[in-house]
Amino acid sequence: MMPLRRKLADGAALLFALAATAFGLIWLVWILWTTMAEGAAALTPSLFTQMTPPPGGSGGLLNAFYGSAVMVLVALVLGTPVGIAAGTYLAEHGRHSRLAAIVGFINDILLSAPSIVIGLFVYELAVRPAGHFSGFAGAIALAIILLPIVVRTTDEALRLVPNQMREAAFALGVPAWRITSRIIYKAGLSGIVTGVLLGLARIAGETAPLLFTALNNQFWSASLAQPLANVPVVIFQYAMSPYDQWHALAWAGALVLTAFVLGLNLMVRFFARRGNR
Amino acid sequence: MIELLERRVKEATPLALPAKIHVRDLDFFYGKAQALKKVELAVPANSVTAIIGPSGCGKSTLLRTINRIYELYPDQRAEGEVVIDGHNVLDPRYSLSALRRCVGMVFQKPTPFATSIRKNVAFALSYYERLPKGELADRIEDALRHAALWDEVKDKLDSSALALSGGQQQRLCIARTLAVRPEIILLDEPTSALDPISTAKIEELIHELRQHFTIVIVTHNMQQAARVSQRTAFFHLGELIEVGETSQIFTNPHVQRTQDYITGRYG
Amino acid sequence: MDQSHRHTLKAFDQDMAELRGLIIDMGSFAEAAIEEAMRCLVERDADAAHELVEADVQLDELETEAERRVLELIALRAPMADDLRDAIAALKIAGVVERIGDYAKNIARRVRRLPAKGEIEPLSLLPEMAKIASGMVHDVLAAFVGRDADKARAVCRRDDALDDFYESIFRTLLTYMMEDPQNISPSTTLLFVAKNLERIGDHATNIAEMVYFAATGERLSDSE
Repeated sequence: MMPLRRKLADGAALLFALAATAFGLIWLVWILWTTMAEGAAALTPSLFTQMTPPPGGSGGLLNAFYGSAVMVLVALVLGTPVGIAAGTYLAEHGRHSRLAAIVGFINDILLSAPSIVIGLFVYELAVRPAGHFSGFAGAIALAIILLPIVVRTTDEALRLVPNQMREAAFALGVPAWRITSRIIYKAGLSGIVTGVLLGLARIAGETAPLLFTALNNQFWSASLAQPLANVPVVIFQYAMSPYDQWHALAWAGALVLTAFVLGLNLMVRFFARRGNR
Repeated sequence: MIELLERRVKEATPLALPAKIHVRDLDFFYGKAQALKKVELAVPANSVTAIIGPSGCGKSTLLRTINRIYELYPDQRAEGEVVIDGHNVLDPRYSLSALRRCVGMVFQKPTPFATSIRKNVAFALSYYERLPKGELADRIEDALRHAALWDEVKDKLDSSALALSGGQQQRLCIARTLAVRPEIILLDEPTSALDPISTAKIEELIHELRQHFTIVIVTHNMQQAARVSQRTAFFHLGELIEVGETSQIFTNPHVQRTQDYITGRYG
Repeated sequence: MDQSHRHTLKAFDQDMAELRGLIIDMGSFAEAAIEEAMRCLVERDADAAHELVEADVQLDELETEAERRVLELIALRAPMADDLRDAIAALKIAGVVERIGDYAKNIARRVRRLPAKGEIEPLSLLPEMAKIASGMVHDVLAAFVGRDADKARAVCRRDDALDDFYESIFRTLLTYMMEDPQNISPSTTLLFVAKNLERIGDHATNIAEMVYFAATGERLSDSE
């Protein structure tokens, strides 16, 4: 009798697990499907060649794409080096240090801080004194969101490098900085790149902080000192509007954003596999 | 007839060699736990000294004291002296860099760096010496030859070191150590992760290297200690129990505990 | 040295025990052969002597078996220190015991050279000598099993007694031969027998030296 009871319990657990998975996946599939269906309609070449139109008019999202790209890039430039350096410190020198433990803790708090709070912070810092919104403020906000992600993933990627490799390098008498830059980074590179890409995927879609900092710009603007168009805020604005064409553009923007994030995640997988080889 | 006998018998007795490393009154602590107790050991130059003993007896700890690699970990400390060529290397004023250039170490798990074979071998070398390209290539070849690896990798020096087999990777680690021309080589169970053929190749390598280097090898495998070393030291619970000629230790040890260990009556 | 500590690998202990047992069996066989040969000589039992000669081949087979076991032990167990000395000693001792058996066989062979009847005076001295010789063989093998260096040394000292015995028998036989030329033939036979017994004693001494080395790792010096 015992084996049968066990078999039933086994089967029931399996069924439950499958049902839960299906439940989770259904929503995901539904979202993706809706995005693709709605966005495909507006997916024309003009999406990438024309500016955001006035209400009722037709156009594209060029300035939004450009603005997003620029801010994300600046955020990367600001946040990545600092993040990698901090992550290196935590992994290499901070294992037995009280200070490092505190820094790590603060980093984790920042990691889960609401992005709107960060947006508000940058607003007080960069927008109010300047008197106007700017792309630069937006980039700063994105950098602050990116930073803890890079710190944490760099720390973990470097910790994954086996200690024996460090010992082998130290046993050769080479100083620590040289070991880190030449050996440890090479070994942990795929992990660090993965972290940066994941951070990139995150900030590409951040909306709340941009509302406070870059806001939006209907017209073409290449200046970081002025409000800068960007995809998330455009989606926000256009989706809430009563105009059908704006709705269509919003969906198209959402589709492009989703595809971009999906692409980044695929790249992450590729790098992770390369790193494991 | 009697002369012939004399000559034969004399050859069997090895020459007394000067001590390259002299460990004096060494204590070692992991935090509060004492891992080595008042160790006194002389390691002769240009020979292989094996350190054997059951797990946890302190043999790897002793090795790691000689090149001060334990200093990477703040809760580990050593008290006493390790004298190499007349200088106490445990003295904080003694340059770590100089020490580790003179004393090379190869670990149990082969640890090639995630870069090309060439760059692996050149890594430490290019830090210590600014060499023109040609001379650097010569030194790399030299090191790889001495590690019995040259013939197998000479056509693929720029390929990844991670693509090599386990035995080759370990020989690469040896080449990397040899490149800076140390005087002492420490081997911490160098073949325990390798197959028998790779093990045999490395043992042969050790046999050739001892003409020019002082070698200390820690091994779990008593047969390996017997095959490879001229002197053997037996450790137990952090103390040096007996040290002597390898042939004497394995045919007629003086201390009961030594005999118990090597004949498998341990525990 | 105290060898009461058993090996962690019980099979190793078993192998060593079986090897020692085999050597003991060989020794018992050789001892019995010496005594039986002496009995046949005294009682002029030619038939039993012939059987003894035939039986010697068993000792040869035991020696071959001992050799095989030692080879296996060395190859498979990689014995070290005292175990290694024991294994090598066992190998050498097996060879020597086999030779002792051959000497007993030689004694048995000489039985038919003696006249079937008639008293031969000096013959009465030989059983005593044989007893010493077989006693030495017995004791030295006991010393081997017990790894007893002192016992081994004691056996060496008894060899002197055996040599003295040989000298005295030699003189007695000479006198006997000089008394009557008829006595020459049996006397030479008895002389050879005495010589064989003396050689058995020497071999037992050799075994004692091997036992001493196996037990202590040092050579028994000649003065002892």
